[in-house]
Formats: sequence, C-alpha cells, structure tokens
Amino acid sequence: MREVAIVGIGSTPFGRHAGTPIEQLGVRAAAEALLDAGIDRARIGAVYLGNFISGPLNGKEVLAGIVADQLGLPNVPCTKVEGACASGGIAFRHAWMAIASGQCDAALVVGVETMTHANTAQTTAALNCAMDNEHDGPSGLTFPGLFGLAWRIHAERHGTTRAQVSAVVRKNKRNGLLNPLAQMGADLSDDQIAASASICDPLQLYDCCPTSDGAAALVLVAKPLAREATGIPVDVLATVQTRGASRIAGHPDLCSFDATVSAAQRAYAMAGVTAADIDLVELNDCFSIAEIIDSEDLGLAPRGQGAIWAAEGRTAVGGQVAINPSGGLLAKGHPVGATGVGQLYEVVRQLRGTHANQVKGAEIGMTHNLGGTGVACTVSILRRSV
Amino acid sequence: MGTDDRSPSLQMVRCAQCGRVDTAMRPVCAGCLSSDLQPVSVPARGVVASYTTIRRAPTQFRDRQPYDIVVVDLDAGPRVTGRLSADSAPASIGARVHAVHVDHADTVFTLDEQP
Repeated sequence: MREVAIVGIGSTPFGRHAGTPIEQLGVRAAAEALLDAGIDRARIGAVYLGNFISGPLNGKEVLAGIVADQLGLPNVPCTKVEGACASGGIAFRHAWMAIASGQCDAALVVGVETMTHANTAQTTAALNCAMDNEHDGPSGLTFPGLFGLAWRIHAERHGTTRAQVSAVVRKNKRNGLLNPLAQMGADLSDDQIAASASICDPLQLYDCCPTSDGAAALVLVAKPLAREATGIPVDVLATVQTRGASRIAGHPDLCSFDATVSAAQRAYAMAGVTAADIDLVELNDCFSIAEIIDSEDLGLAPRGQGAIWAAEGRTAVGGQVAINPSGGLLAKGHPVGATGVGQLYEVVRQLRGTHANQVKGAEIGMTHNLGGTGVACTVSILRRSV
Repeated sequence: MGTDDRSPSLQMVRCAQCGRVDTAMRPVCAGCLSSDLQPVSVPARGVVASYTTIRRAPTQFRDRQPYDIVVVDLDAGPRVTGRLSADSAPASIGARVHAVHVDHADTVFTLDEQP
C-alpha cells in the first residue's frame, strides 16, 4: 500500500443555506479544497461523495458526477457513497483505498447534505431510513430513543448524573463559539440545559444535535505528490471501516458500539499508535451521551468514566485529550453526509496549527464517524507531516 | 395475574439445518445460508434491558406520544424491541415484563404484577 496525504481542505459553514441547491454547496467546498491543494485538476483520478438523503429530501442523486461536472474535472470515476451518518467517513476511506492501491495518484472527497428546507416530519422520516424499519421501526423507536436507552444503562451501571452529561454539552457548545464554521455555539449554564424541553428521557433539547446544511471537501494524494501541492500536507496513518449490528436488539450491549471498538483497535494497530498518543479527536456526538460512550469505546477514557472525564475537564482543549474542539455535531452541526468529511477538515486544520480553537502542539488527531444504529463506523488517524 | 396462559407468544424462526433461532422471518439463515427456516413460537416474557420515553414521535406515532420503548431480553434468549403499554407500571432496568399484544414487529409489553 502507498502512503497517502491530505493536501487540500475546504468547507462551507454548517447551518442554514436556504435556497442554495445541494450540489452547489458541494461545489463550493470542493473548489476551496482544490485551490488549497494547488495541484492541477487534471491529476484528480477519482471522486467520492458522501451523502445520506439527497434522494428523499432533494429529489437528486448522482451528486458525485454533478459536482465533478461543475468543477470541470476530468472524465474519471465519480461515486456517491451512503452509510447514514458515516457517509462522509466512508467516502474518505474509499478515496484513500483508490490512492493507496495505486488506482490513481490524487482523489477528491466531498461530503454534503441539505436538510433545513424540509419540515420536521419530512426530515424525521428521511433520517429514519437509517434504521432497520422491519425490526426497529414498528415499535416507534427513534434515534434519540436509542441514546435514551443507552443513557439509562450508563446511569444504572456507573451512576452517571445529569450534571456530568451536561459537562459535555457545555464544553462542545463553548468550543462551537470559537469555530467560525459552527452553527450553534453557546455559553450555557447547567440550569439552562436541565430546563430545556424533554425529547426522549433522559435526553433534553440541548443533548441533541441540530438539523443542518453544509459541505466539506478534501484533496488526497499519494505521498510523493504532496511536494507538488501548495497546501500543508497531513499524513493519513490509518482509516478503517467496520460494521455493527443492524438493529437495536442485535447489540449485545446497548451502552457500547462494537463497530467503534473494533474500528478503533484496528486503526491504532494500523497507525502504530495508542490511545495515549492521540492529541485530539473529532467524534460522533450526535447526542451528548454518545460522546461519553464513544470516548470509552475509542479507549480514550476508561470504561464508565467518559462522563466523569468530561466533568473534570480532561476532554477540553488543554486537557488530557481534546474531544470535539470544533464543537462537534452538538454545536458545529450535523449535515449528515458532510459530517465525516467535516471532522477530517477540522483535524487537518488542527494538525496544520491553523485552527481557531487550536489544540497546542497537536501532532496526532483522530476522527470517529458512526452511522445508523451503529451499523457502519469509520475511524481515521492523521499525523502532522514531518 | 398469571401471565403464562394469556400472554401472547412471539413468532420467530428456527433454521432446520443448523438450529439457529432468529427474531424475524428472513430469506436465509444468517448462520448457514439455508433457506429451510421454520416458524417457532417463543413465550413473550423476559426482563427489561433498558427503556426510554419518546416525547417527539415520528408522524405515524404522533397520536400516541408520549410512549415508552422497552428493550427486552426474552427468557428464551433473543433480545427484542417493543413498546410498554400505556397502563403498565413504570419500567425499570431488570423489571420482569410480558407481552399483551403482538402485531408484526410491534410488540406491546406490560410489567408483571409484583407478588
């Protein structure tokens, strides 16, 4: 396998982009990434675009080809990939495989979603496509519901409190205030969080990520080609994709996602690093309790202590390991198919040392992107080029 | 109330080739890919693994919100997702439940009465 580097990044703000067609959001982010990379567009040998629900919400498919056409790219394979919330991470891994295996020397990755133009019923119905609707749908379970189930178990086993979970919300919302791309940064008090509307016990409004529009893009190249690029390169040490149970009842433990556990173990082995080497991670905090479970599944916090670590400030910027310095899905926003690519954008900025909420001296960063009820997961590890 | 006689059973499938039991009808056995799957009835009784209250429901369930979801570890082995009956006692992890209504994958449970 050849070594691969990320040499170009681009992103729209996450939030509301009323009236902007979905493909144009993707084109904007991709053009920024191509200009940042500074390599000849003719060298792009493949395009992978992560998107979840452009069909049901926009009546548009073949987005990878449409975006490539508007960018004037060569006549190369253009593929849209889907894995619910993990769509972006999967698109990235496919581009990495194309280069690492020698199929091409450079590839463009795009993640894009628009959701805010649809009403709540349309969005909920579209998002529920990520569930096994033969088995889990008929009960009336929702995605917040899945994490309500998980929270109850975490609280039962580890005594996790509302205040400890609120520490995650407060941290990510504060981080979001410092990120110019974030949709919903805020300085919240424990009382404000505890007084917000109940969504799905014990989850309240501020425990849930918003509905978002947005796009992010990356240019990847074979390592020797990084010298030709003008963008500061970041090395891809590992990128792994795994599968977990496709239905709720298939999970042996509702308070852990085995797809995350196995992806992390394989990614650490592939990168030749351990959890202790990770300076920062952008992980899939679709709900506050998800960050706590993910941080344990990734081996960053000891099992059962994810909430305590957040409450003690160990996961803040300047703490032991910075978790979601971008604000995460909770504050930066969650344009589903764009999220995984947006996480990589954030980590590259950190490793370049140019982030607005910079983790001082960051050398190794990680992304974690989890789709559906844990059915698809990607974990990637990046390192500042030396 | 005795739950044994009046509690409905859950329909599952057993593979005639390898004996694997799964929770719902499917084209082939995930254990051995045999298509020789036989329906089997399993008592709809078990223990609550976790529960939550849905206060913002999908459109088709909005008329019944709020409602409780329970994940139940059946005495027979498999784990299933269901709802808690509106007139059931409140759920807790480890509480014993039995089904009072089964329709396709929509299973409604209620807490066993305390002795």
